[in-house]
Amino acid sequence: MSTPSGFDELIHPSTRLSVVALLAATEWADFPFIRDSLSLSDSALSKQLHTLEEAGYLEIRKEGGGRKRRTKVRLTQRGRTAFEGHVAALRAIVEGAGATAPRTAAEPEPATARTAPASQQHHAEAGR
Amino acid sequence: MSTSVDAEQAWLDLQRIRVPEERVYDEIERCAHRDARSTYTTAAIMWVFIASWGLDLPEWAFWLVLAGYVVGLGALGYHFNRRSRLRLHRSRHSWRQFAMFFAGMVVTAATILLSDRLVESLGLPFGSLIQATVSAGVFVLLVGPANRWAVSTLRARGARAVLEGEAR
Repeated sequence: MSTPSGFDELIHPSTRLSVVALLAATEWADFPFIRDSLSLSDSALSKQLHTLEEAGYLEIRKEGGGRKRRTKVRLTQRGRTAFEGHVAALRAIVEGAGATAPRTAAEPEPATARTAPASQQHHAEAGR
Repeated sequence: MSTSVDAEQAWLDLQRIRVPEERVYDEIERCAHRDARSTYTTAAIMWVFIASWGLDLPEWAFWLVLAGYVVGLGALGYHFNRRSRLRLHRSRHSWRQFAMFFAGMVVTAATILLSDRLVESLGLPFGSLIQATVSAGVFVLLVGPANRWAVSTLRARGARAVLEGEAR
């Protein structure tokens, strides 16, 4: 199956997709918040962030010093555009499948009910 | 290199995107519900500023106190901004937050003016202290519920924004 335009190979892996999705809702988020929200280890998150930073999808800024040192992460415009394109591509795949795709995919329902299984699956994957 | 993604996987990925966004809104709502310290500190600074009006300060001293008030509020904003773990993206804010900001200013100003009139008409002693206490009290009572009201629709708005973004 061919992938639609906008599909981003870099964002596609589940952990990176979650990181970018979280950052897309924020101007910036600090490192511990991202780590705790996605149930990742410091090293796993750091690795994913550096991969995305090298691609120019996000900026990592360190503030302060000593024990008050903070790391803030911000999605760049390039990263935001890539994420929106990737989401649009996923949407196109689902819609392209027509009747074979789950019917509820196009319906705006409260996220909590539907995302519970996905969340569990994601956390399991992220923990690896 | 290209990745082949079937519709089911794409649908799962679309659901997966919502999970971290929910964590962002959880954090925003948690701050709106529990972070009372900033409200009390702001009310305390406001109380000191309004109470100082009763000291019949010379003009230069009034401006000095006003400058101190502004600097105090600025420092407080800076401090709580440093403590926050994230900032919501500008596209996710709702009109309610701006309405709450302006309505808060109007209500606070109206309370100060009304309490001033009340104190004057009743001829109460320590008028500025009463005025400061009433104004700070109204601020504390209103800011919590107003803040919760302002953030209550952000989650639904965020979900809608994602769907609209997907639809483009």
